[in-house]
Amino acid sequence: MVRLITHNLLACHARGCTSNNFPLRFSDAQIETRKADFNADFIRAFMPKLEWSALVDAAKQLGDTSLPLEAPDMLDEEFLKNLHRVLLEIHIEEGSMTCPNCNHRYPISNGIPNMLLAEDEIA
Amino acid sequence: MPKDVIPVVVSADPGTYEDAHVHAIYDDIADHFSSTRYKPWPIIAEFLSEIPTGWMGLDAGTGNGKYLSLPPHPPGKIWSIGLDRSINLLRLARSAGGVTREVVLGNVLDYCWRKGCFDFAISIATIHHLTTSERRRVAVQRLLEAVSPNHGRVLIYVWAIEQDGLSKRSIPTNGECSTSGQDVLVPWVSSDREQNATNAHNGVARVYNRYYHMFAKGELIDLVKGAALASGLELGPQPGGETGARGVEIVREGWERSNYYIELRLWQVR
Repeated sequence: MVRLITHNLLACHARGCTSNNFPLRFSDAQIETRKADFNADFIRAFMPKLEWSALVDAAKQLGDTSLPLEAPDMLDEEFLKNLHRVLLEIHIEEGSMTCPNCNHRYPISNGIPNMLLAEDEIA
Repeated sequence: MPKDVIPVVVSADPGTYEDAHVHAIYDDIADHFSSTRYKPWPIIAEFLSEIPTGWMGLDAGTGNGKYLSLPPHPPGKIWSIGLDRSINLLRLARSAGGVTREVVLGNVLDYCWRKGCFDFAISIATIHHLTTSERRRVAVQRLLEAVSPNHGRVLIYVWAIEQDGLSKRSIPTNGECSTSGQDVLVPWVSSDREQNATNAHNGVARVYNRYYHMFAKGELIDLVKGAALASGLELGPQPGGETGARGVEIVREGWERSNYYIELRLWQVR
């Protein structure tokens, strides 16, 4: 599955593409929302590891503008629940992700991103 | 039914050979294979149960994803992303334990992540499917790159020449394999149930020969040493002073149920 929690970690790895290769940009995304177990402790501890602006931008590409542009200092229950929803309940089922640097396109099919490269594209 | 492994010498292009003798086979046998792989090994379950809340992990070679759901309680305490080269195994992994999981189609030799973005990484019964020692070293380097240089934890399991009494396999031994391991093909015999379902081969069991590199005693430690050196990491416990030093410590290593394992922790002096 590709959810935004995974998208926030993925980077392009095509040959020679070593800078400005994150975050990948969604195209033609078909999304589904599904409930996931909410664990406030996980979200609170995981949050500092996020690339926040990449997450805000990716959510916007999927039509979700609920996140603040800057990560807040005060993390109340309502904020954590919304962050949980954005990270773990929006599933990108079909579409693709494109590198902002080299424009390499990684397809998503049945919720699984294909990060394989052809032999001559590998770094 | 053949149970013995077959010694082999790989002379073909490694990538092409692995496609034919590992990836294509797992895509074919995914369902049957998965039905035999549901019990987590104790040391791996223990490693995962000790991971702090909020940590993100990479399972490089996740197979049917049986480790993506550990620890089971409390739900969502940690997350693991499953990486595998077999799309058919990933189709099973994405709902491992009855919960939707995160899985990515990719090769453990490639690196498709932000650097050091994971807190921990496991690679269970995967690196032994790579056909050269250089490729196996690269796979370990990818794990070292994947985790945080400050606190990253890594657990690796590979198949051992040294087999336990419960194992049904008999292992050919020759003098040379005692230090450099042994390349073998391991037959997988597709089940009758599967034969009926696919209606193929008219009841003649199909045998798939999967490639494995069976590790010699000490070989996994040497592999990690080589990977640490190539990644510019010191090997050993964290020293006192010297700011900027980076390294990896072997927390424990050993043999469990026909496999060698090694647990690592990265450190950085700031």
